[in-house]
Parts: sequence; C-alpha cells; structure tokens
Amino acid sequence: MTSFTNNIQEFFERLKTLYNVELSEIDSKQFKIIAEPDKILPLLAYLKEIGYSHLSILTCVDWIEQKKFELVYILFNWSNGITFLVSTFIDRDKPVFYTVKDMWPTAEYYERDVHEFFGVEFEGNENCKKPMILELWNDLPPLRKDFDPLKYSKEHYPDREYEKDAIHEARIVRGDIRGDVNG
Amino acid sequence: MSKIDERSVWEKIADQLRSRSMWMLHYCTGCGAVELPPSMTSRFDMERLGMGPMATPRQADIFLITGYLSAKTLRRVIYTYEKMADPKYVIGFGSCTINGGIYYDSYSTINRLDYYIPVDLYIAGCMPRPEAILNAFNQLMEMIRKGEANGWKRYKENYEWYKQNQLRSLGEVIVHDEFHE
Repeated sequence: MTSFTNNIQEFFERLKTLYNVELSEIDSKQFKIIAEPDKILPLLAYLKEIGYSHLSILTCVDWIEQKKFELVYILFNWSNGITFLVSTFIDRDKPVFYTVKDMWPTAEYYERDVHEFFGVEFEGNENCKKPMILELWNDLPPLRKDFDPLKYSKEHYPDREYEKDAIHEARIVRGDIRGDVNG
Repeated sequence: MSKIDERSVWEKIADQLRSRSMWMLHYCTGCGAVELPPSMTSRFDMERLGMGPMATPRQADIFLITGYLSAKTLRRVIYTYEKMADPKYVIGFGSCTINGGIYYDSYSTINRLDYYIPVDLYIAGCMPRPEAILNAFNQLMEMIRKGEANGWKRYKENYEWYKQNQLRSLGEVIVHDEFHE
C-alpha cells in the first residue's frame, strides 16, 4: 500500500496519466491536485484506497471573477503524514456536484455546511437542504463574495446609538486624552 | 421612586442574602468563557464571594453572556433566560455584547445584547481579565443589595418590547432543528 510513498514523483506521473490532473507542491508534506469535476469521484476513491483515507475537511472557495466555485477535499494519510488538497472547479451559476458521503459518512455534514454557506447542492445527499448552522436563513448564502455582511447586520441586528459627548471630544482636541474625535 | 424600584422590608432582607449566594449558570456563548476557569479556580476563587457554577437554568441566579452571541445561540439564550427562576441577573461580557465588538459586521452575531434581554451589568474589554470579572461580581452584589439590579423586573414590565425586538432579529424564537423535532 505504501510502495509509492518512497517515490512520490513516480506516483504523481501515474496520477497525471490516469486522471489528467494538475499537480503543485505546497511544501514537502502538502500537495495540491486540481482535477476536472467528472474525474473527482474516481480520483478520491483511488486516493482513499491507497491510504489517503482521512477526509480532514470538504470546503469551498468562491472565485467570483472566474464565476467558479472551487471545492476542496483535504485528504490526509496517517502512514506517511502527507496531505493532498484535491480541488475542482464547478460552475458558479449552477452549483451542483455529487456527494461523497458514501465514501466518507462525515462528508454529509461538510456538504450541508457548504450548501448552507455557498449554496452548492450535492446530489445524493438528501439532508443537504436541511438547515444546520444558520436557522431560518432567507438571504444569499453568507460566504458568497457578493453577499454584504455589513448591510445584513445593519438590517437585522440594531446597533447601539451613542450620544455625542462634546466635552470628551474637546479634551481629545486639546490633547488631554488620546482618542478619535469622529470615532 | 418608580414602582420597579420599590421593595418591601422582606425583599430588602432577601436581597442581602441573595447577593451572598449567587449561582452562575454554566453556559458559555463565546470566547469570553476562557476567562471563567481562572476566575473560578484558586487564584481568583469566585467561591469566596458565594458564587459557584450551576448546571441547570432552574437553579441558577446569574447568567453570563460570555462574548459574541450568534443569532442561533440567542434563541437558546432566550429559552434559557426565560427558564431561570426570579430573581435573575444578566452580565454581558466584553465588547461584543456591548456593541458587536470586532463582529460588528457579522451576518450572524448580534450587536447589542440589551435589545433582546435586560442586562444588569456590562464588563468592557476584549476579553475582560479575571480581575475585571471579580470586580464586576462585587459590583453586581452591591447593586443587588441596593435593589438596582432589577433587569428581571424590567423584562416582565417591557415584555412586549423585548419580544418584538427578538422577533425582529430572529424571525422566530422557537427552535426548529433536527434534534428538537
């Protein structure tokens, strides 16, 4: 199972030919693999089979300018301590992907999390649409880049109103105390 | 003197006794909870003030909102606060409960705690050190003895206002999740 670990370059060549992936090195223990969306499931199954069996997290990155969501599966190998960041780009306007909860049951919750915060749907995960962290959410998914958290906060959670303290401000202007007059 | 501040002789005596035996609900909402273990244990030793952690809201007298409060937690906080028996006192920890702190623009944390439940005392700081917490506890005891810590009376008196604010921010206070249904 761990024969490839001594010769990581050879293993990378094999991945490139089998799954047509792009590889880059982050450091000696972490590597990033970018694959096409339709190659992700067989690639993850293969990596799980050869020892990268720990799904640390499944997360998502919003690349709003490229109109893509990047799904990142972080896999860890307990026998050699190597981490793979397996990522793929899906369409931002129609964010639908496949579930991996049959490979890693824990992925069900990561997928619900990604669905809630980015709006990505995972086919095959029936619980995907149940609310988990945000309850009664009725706006854009909050971690999308086009969501304005300050505006939402101002609308929903009223702020404390402070009274203007002229004497305090005068003392700041005079230099008695440090502070911000317009703050 | 308004009606809310009026106390009978017995209530004054009861307040003296209450202030010396306050049980704190062991419920931590945010990062400020990390300052509680040093306040409880030997160095600052909260118990010499007659305070101790308590497991259930029905037995507790003080409710500490330790740090930022998300909308999801606020629902549970309101549940818990309403479960607590009178008299009950609320202390808001840190700048997050005062004006949102560094989470002022967060989509899920509230900006002002006393909009939703009455707060008797705020401790400023991010986070307040155990010295500040002990100071606040002393202050709260003093306020109880003087009859100034009457947030629980204000909650009864202004229940509609508080409810309306809770509904405005939360939509619905009732918790719907897969663990409750």
